[in-house]
Amino acid sequence: MAYKIRKDLAYRRIAGEVYIVDAAKSEMRELNGPAALIWEGLAAGKKGEAIASAIAEEFETDAATARADLAAFTEELLAARLIEKL
Amino acid sequence: MAGRPVACPAPKASIPVLGLELAGLSLFFKPDHAGIISIFKRRYGRFSGRGSRGYTFSVSAAAGRQTPFKPSVVLEGSRLELARGDFRAVLDMGRRSGELRAAPNEQCLDAFLRSLTSFFLNRAGGFMLHSAGLVKDGKAYIFLGKSGAGKSTLSKLAASRPGVELISDEINLLRREKGRWRVHGSPFWGEMRADGRPGSWPLGGILLMSKFPEHRIKPCTVPEALRLLLRCSVNFEAGPGTSERALSAAAALLAGAEFRRLYFSKKDNSFLELV
Repeated sequence: MAYKIRKDLAYRRIAGEVYIVDAAKSEMRELNGPAALIWEGLAAGKKGEAIASAIAEEFETDAATARADLAAFTEELLAARLIEKL
Repeated sequence: MAGRPVACPAPKASIPVLGLELAGLSLFFKPDHAGIISIFKRRYGRFSGRGSRGYTFSVSAAAGRQTPFKPSVVLEGSRLELARGDFRAVLDMGRRSGELRAAPNEQCLDAFLRSLTSFFLNRAGGFMLHSAGLVKDGKAYIFLGKSGAGKSTLSKLAASRPGVELISDEINLLRREKGRWRVHGSPFWGEMRADGRPGSWPLGGILLMSKFPEHRIKPCTVPEALRLLLRCSVNFEAGPGTSERALSAAAALLAGAEFRRLYFSKKDNSFLELV
């Protein structure tokens, strides 16, 4: 399954963390660690396997754990309506 | 022999154009009657100026109510429209000219100017910040706080200190110029006071305000600084572009200025020694 970030969100990496501004809801979220990596992977249009590989490499974890983390966080982003299915 | 008197039209009193300089933004107003210009002068006369490449508005008075209270700011192509219940302005950004129809009162003109200034500052990589601002030892300090955080109290305390000048107790204007942040004089004060003066000062630091029984100053984290900075940023234009520019400017400000948390008490102004 592929996903895209909602068009009306603004985001930026500042001091190592990704900050997402949802102006419509006047909300700001901050992502760090693997969450920031996943977000930036989605923003770059990367496929799930590529994002999971990047997580495994960056955080020195096995591929299965990285895929599970990716799936869980993607569900969170969907539930929060920050991303949409393509 | 004298001829018959010829009826001449009475000379029409010319209404002067008013020029304003706000945080590097040059504005010219050509009103169609003197009443509205007197309001502009009374409220913003200290900021009069004549920049070289300004935006010119033909101004006419129109009745209107403040509702809806929050102005809308929409840019489509080169057409900028700013509107509220009691004003409507359309500006051709390419030609740098437009029209303003506004209720002839200070609240209305102030809302219009705040909307317009925040639009341009957001595009210039700057900020209009809901904050208190003061100058001490030649540098400007910005005190960020939500409503009720004590901006007015802090301003009154600071104003009584010799050598300290208030920039504004409500709205401060920041721009990055040649890689350095400067705070510009602001005509936007609390309770519609006409105060402030033109000028700009190098930014000395930004302080997040917290009421406390005694004065203290401590470092603060990036997330808390960013959260309050964005919350205090005044923007009326909706859309991701505005948020992206604000985030980008915030990143630059966080990188280029010292943010700290100020715990202050209203007992006296000795917190200024910590700044």
